[in-house]
Amino acid sequence: MDSAVLFGLLVALMLTGMPISIALGLTVLTFIFTMTHVPLESVALKLFTGIERFEIMAIPFFILAGNFLTHGGVARKMIDFATSMVGHWHGGLALAGILACAMFALVCGSSVATVVAIGSIVLPEMVRHGYPMRFGAGVITVAGSLGILMLPSIPKVIYAIATNTSIGALFVAGLVPGIMLTAMLGGVTWYVAKKNDYPRMARSSWGQRWKAFRESVWGLMLVVIIIGGIYSGIFTATEAAAMSAVYAFFVSVFVYKALPLKGVRKVLLSSANMSAMLLYIITNAALFSFILTDENIPHALADWILSKDLGRVGFLLVSNLALLIAGNFMDPSSIILIMAPILHPAAMAFGINSVHLGILIDVNMEVGLCHPPVGLNLYVASGISRMGITELTIAVLPWLVTMLVFLVIVTYWPELSLWLPHALGML
Amino acid sequence: MRFLDQFEEWVIAALMGAATLLIFVAVVHRYASGIPWPAFQDWLLTVNLSWAQELCIYMFIWMAKFGAAYGVRTGIHVGVDVLVERLPERIARKTTLFGLLCGALFTGVVGTFGAKFVWEMAHTEQVSPDLGMPMWIVFLAIPSGSYLMCLRFLQVAWSFLHTGKLPHYDQARVEGIEPGPQAAPLPRGSA
Repeated sequence: MDSAVLFGLLVALMLTGMPISIALGLTVLTFIFTMTHVPLESVALKLFTGIERFEIMAIPFFILAGNFLTHGGVARKMIDFATSMVGHWHGGLALAGILACAMFALVCGSSVATVVAIGSIVLPEMVRHGYPMRFGAGVITVAGSLGILMLPSIPKVIYAIATNTSIGALFVAGLVPGIMLTAMLGGVTWYVAKKNDYPRMARSSWGQRWKAFRESVWGLMLVVIIIGGIYSGIFTATEAAAMSAVYAFFVSVFVYKALPLKGVRKVLLSSANMSAMLLYIITNAALFSFILTDENIPHALADWILSKDLGRVGFLLVSNLALLIAGNFMDPSSIILIMAPILHPAAMAFGINSVHLGILIDVNMEVGLCHPPVGLNLYVASGISRMGITELTIAVLPWLVTMLVFLVIVTYWPELSLWLPHALGML
Repeated sequence: MRFLDQFEEWVIAALMGAATLLIFVAVVHRYASGIPWPAFQDWLLTVNLSWAQELCIYMFIWMAKFGAAYGVRTGIHVGVDVLVERLPERIARKTTLFGLLCGALFTGVVGTFGAKFVWEMAHTEQVSPDLGMPMWIVFLAIPSGSYLMCLRFLQVAWSFLHTGKLPHYDQARVEGIEPGPQAAPLPRGSA
């Protein structure tokens, strides 16, 4: 009964279009005033202690690092290297765009940043070489979502915080699925390009490839810092994020010289803006889940789900559907903060690994980012390509379907995600 | 008002940069002090940076509270607008206004709670574990940030009532690269 009131109120408030963080907060306030005996002071305290954890601070650091990378010429070098490797195949530039997205994703934790960084360089170039804009924008919109699957990822940090899962294991677990998705997207692209006879680039010599690799190595070094650092225990995930922000600053300003020192203030401000928004949702979601736990709702819901005799397969199917539907209304961070605490206890009861569930949620979020009405990748790509949302939605379809197939594979093949963290002894 | 705007921007950008530098220095210090450099190591060992983590958290909480207020001004706090967009214009306007006023209500209530909380805490001797900073100063972020946010919501509601416009956050633009058909420069060295 209480849970029905709580969720009903939340949905009603959210549908008015007010910020999700405010809807969460107001739901809690109303609930406290009318239905429970939780002392009001604890609300103020919770608003502070909700984000008083060092792990959460990885989020602003990763956002800052991502912003420096986007501005800093790192994407340009990665695209050059990728083009030298696969440019001579069918649909070469598009394949290079996918590969560059994958490389950028290795060091960046945001899918929107990946679309902006790679898309704003690759798309004009593709059009110049005679590819239709539809094709390029479709590819990059979906490939950009690799940003939250490969290694560091802001949604993964949020999931880790919401469910107390190891951040390092979640980062590493995304690598093998990420490579697989890259290959699948590449395969579809190659097929479409071959069928339509899209242009190919000149084959590069190994000397040129080596030169391109050497130039892009500054950006790729970040992988070593982030994963090497976390894995070997040199630093925590948050420290790794801070180090990568400083490193990305250094590379952008002093090595590639693509970002003038004057521009740093703007990068700091826009990163702070984005981080504060996420931290504000996290604070209020912490408040909300505090009430949920206080009312023992997650466990009651888990028991209810278990009593439905869905079985593991059925539970995973239902979770995917719920997450995909939620992806039509909210952004990834809000979905994870609201849904993860509910799905997690039930998943544990079914013996599903916490890291596997994290990757599954992550892939669901990727799908949500690539279709209307709220898919941010789509809006950003539409901004870069000057294509309307409806047109772009159709352009995205072949790759979006590929992604759904990939989602099924990830859901029912846990070893795909769990093998690497197991092999590295992180689980 | 202009002064408040600039002050807000300056504070959150500075906190962001400073916290990053702080953690960077703390990590470098942790490993540098393990290297047996003569004399230098002794000096490094006398510097104690164990409070860095705590300070970083506090800086980010301040940044988050003030940044959230700034975010109201830039329109970055997104909501579910699927339904509102389908409503008839007149009702949609009222709904949006209701949402903004709810924002002001929530932040106002939280600010008041926070202020009471800080007031009570100021009469205790509580200090933070590593820095030894009085906790009420640290917690001051909640009332000041919330009241500022409340003010921002009222500001936005006021201008929405008069102009019918909401601040709109454009992701592609704020990320900094000029979108659109710019001719991508050829890689350095090849031109």
